[in-house]
Amino acid sequence: MTTINVHCWLTMAIQTDGIVLKNRKIKSIYFLLEIDCPSIANETKPGQFVMLRTSDDNHPLLRRPFSIYKSYSTLHPLKRKRGHFLIFYKKVGKGTEKMSTFKEKQKVNLIGPLGNGFIVPPLPSSAASILIGGGVGMASLSALGEVLGSGKLYVFIGGKTKNDILCEDDFPKGKVFIATEDGSRGKKGTVVDLFLSEIERFDRGRPHHVYICGPEGMVHSLSRMIKSKKWIVQVSLEARMGCGFGACWGCVVKTRDTEMAYHRVCKDGPVFPLSEIVWE
Amino acid sequence: MKMKSVGHPDLSIRIGKMELKNPVIAASGTFGYGQEFENFIDLSQLGAIIPKGISLSPMQGNSPPRIFETNGGILNSIGLQNPGLQDFINEKLPYFKKIKTNLIINFFGNTQKEYVELARRLDSLDGISGLEMNISCPNVKQGGIVFGSDPRMTYRLVSAVRKSSELPFIVKLSPNVTDISAIARSVEEGGADAVSLVNTFKAMAINIHSKKPELGNMIGGLSGPAIKPIALRMVWEVFQTVKIPIIGMGGIMKAEDAIEFILAGASAIQIGTANLINPQTGIEVINGIKRYLFQNRINRVRELIGLFKV
Repeated sequence: MTTINVHCWLTMAIQTDGIVLKNRKIKSIYFLLEIDCPSIANETKPGQFVMLRTSDDNHPLLRRPFSIYKSYSTLHPLKRKRGHFLIFYKKVGKGTEKMSTFKEKQKVNLIGPLGNGFIVPPLPSSAASILIGGGVGMASLSALGEVLGSGKLYVFIGGKTKNDILCEDDFPKGKVFIATEDGSRGKKGTVVDLFLSEIERFDRGRPHHVYICGPEGMVHSLSRMIKSKKWIVQVSLEARMGCGFGACWGCVVKTRDTEMAYHRVCKDGPVFPLSEIVWE
Repeated sequence: MKMKSVGHPDLSIRIGKMELKNPVIAASGTFGYGQEFENFIDLSQLGAIIPKGISLSPMQGNSPPRIFETNGGILNSIGLQNPGLQDFINEKLPYFKKIKTNLIINFFGNTQKEYVELARRLDSLDGISGLEMNISCPNVKQGGIVFGSDPRMTYRLVSAVRKSSELPFIVKLSPNVTDISAIARSVEEGGADAVSLVNTFKAMAINIHSKKPELGNMIGGLSGPAIKPIALRMVWEVFQTVKIPIIGMGGIMKAEDAIEFILAGASAIQIGTANLINPQTGIEVINGIKRYLFQNRINRVRELIGLFKV
């Protein structure tokens, strides 16, 4: 498998305050937070994330990592969006619970943009870009989708129910395949099953580029499924993080690196070539 | 001698022959190799920096998950992952040349021989202001806890390492012992210049849904504000036992916490967990101590050490 150097973005993360512009529920427990923060919005690449401090009183203690869903530089044609970025979050714990109470104009402390984003190599015309994701993992794939354009693009989105299907409207119509475990949207089953049922589509053509972001179980199953294919697969990993900027070594993943197996998801990733990951 | 005006309180302190411009030190294991913080703060403003601990040979560290948040604390089981001394010298040490503060190297071994060799080799390097010997990591047997929980073994190790380096020599203590003062006394008798305390408390968490431990290594070390009152009590106890300087740490999040430690007897303090959450903490603590001294008309931070009124 072709290896991809994922260390080519030169990121300059900063610590800064942003201003909450909008904080609204999209559906069930999913929220969209829009923040005014030009210094981060200007520098963001698809697949990067921010560490957000959800509280000033140390409850909860650690910052929380969030993929940047959309970012608008200060030169963006849409004037009212300039300098803003958006994150998706799922209200599941103390941190996101606090976030769901964020009010307009509230200050929020951020560190970002962090990590290495996706690498988007020039594609030969016969190769497809395949995006596979679930839940809030779709945020970074949506950001990537904007860069990829609509060429040969296939997007597979999964979730437990129809309420867990996010970002489908961000992609060109007719390119999106949906699966839900309860069958309330798209095909019944997991996104992995769905992809397997469509995999023959991709038997021809040049090495396809596959981009994955979602829960570990999903990534692991996909990895077993496409191991034999000569595809170029990048995966954006989720992990519990301490700092988010490489200092604590708390968020590691095992890799094939024979000298030092554990790499930091926050600093060396979160995007890795799938072939580099060792599943434990 | 002319008195310094209270507008500019003197924050400098001394540990052995090492002069610190202020008592605020970045704690090992929470500050990477310094460079991770260069976008956030001017590293030269800190009193000292202690990079992630090193061993003679590289160490892979523990299986993930390595970190878990609890109420007011963080459980970690990193497992002392590090590239080993030689890689550290080649890859990490040169960065500190341009940083104008004390560089203290935290190190640990499997055996007394390894500790001694590390100290000897570190002693021969340029750009190192002091050593901090870890005899207290709760996450790996090789973290020295076997040496650090018995006063006699502590004494033997400290005196052996003392003989192999002339650098200012700090020994970092574990709170996971019956009597921390007894260990501190052995460290002093062994000839160390200072003690730093405390390392993390052995602790664990269980996921009730999977019924599995939250950490890959099952047991980890607890740090953060949750441990501060216990750490403070231990600093106070050690202060009543030894004469060498104490470097206090354990859940310091702000200047007020640091001042408590100094009042309890710490000559300097380390910022650990807080670095991960707010990289500015060290700088904010320096400014807060300055403000406190000014408001209380105290000229020198040294006057505050152990001023706790009993």
